[in-house]
Amino acid sequence: MRITCPHCGARDAQEFSYLGDANPKRPDGLDATEAAMHDYVYQRDNPAGRHRELWYHGAGCHAWLVVTRDTRSHAIEAVEVASTVRSGAAA
Amino acid sequence: MADAATPANWTPRGAWAGILQDGHLGVAGTPGVRIAARDGLGIASLIAPGTGAAALTAAVKARFGLDLPTKPAISHSATHAAVWAGPGQWLLLAENRDGFDDALQAVVGLGAVAEQSSGRAVLRLSGPKAREALAKGCMLDLHPAAFPVGMAALTSIGHIGVHLWRAEDGPEGAVFEMMVARSMAGSFWSWLSGAVAEFGCQVVATEGSTGRG
Repeated sequence: MRITCPHCGARDAQEFSYLGDANPKRPDGLDATEAAMHDYVYQRDNPAGRHRELWYHGAGCHAWLVVTRDTRSHAIEAVEVASTVRSGAAA
Repeated sequence: MADAATPANWTPRGAWAGILQDGHLGVAGTPGVRIAARDGLGIASLIAPGTGAAALTAAVKARFGLDLPTKPAISHSATHAAVWAGPGQWLLLAENRDGFDDALQAVVGLGAVAEQSSGRAVLRLSGPKAREALAKGCMLDLHPAAFPVGMAALTSIGHIGVHLWRAEDGPEGAVFEMMVARSMAGSFWSWLSGAVAEFGCQVVATEGSTGRG
């Protein structure tokens, strides 16, 4: 699988580290209920299909990326720099 | 009090000292690859502050006459070069380390500036088979159509982080320069010396600081 880093161009996936689902947003610490924190820490969807996930370009530019990938075909629909999408991520 | 454990005869040595040796490596005949150590360079990392790179960019332009690249590339002047090293990050290279600390004062305070001259090991790779040798471990497409003169990249070769750029072409075609962390120089040479052996390789370990950076 090749990931097209917005900074570096198309690179082999072994240059990147996978860090899971990009969607969960950490609840506000002091106000969060125990249940909300539990969901944030442990509950993950495992979709067969479109998935937004975090990848880290550790062997390249050291940028965090949000990759939208089809888990069935590995087809990559979009790669965005995480810092630019952080505020707009779905809950 | 003098430290009795510190030998009096300590002298600085190049990053490739004890690793590279002048001579011919691999199969005999006309070398397919030429490797030269690039010792004596001044190297500093520049990282733009969160507020942006405008002041840093202007200072580098004013002091060194260089444009900080905003994509993976290297820009040259006669004496210095700036290599892209990630978003908002660069390496500033000086052909000659003498006076480099003073020159760096022009950018101090405009970002995170760290002297790296002794922390990196740089090689120049040329010869008609240079690209073929690199293809054994480098995942990048280094064909001239995909990797033109002046392009730079951060990648991994043999699990070692490598900063790679294409310098001006030489008489035998493409010339690549490669930088690794100094502590990885021995491991990197272990890979590179194996990769070039089948083509025959001329090694120049003591080039000094006469070439381009």
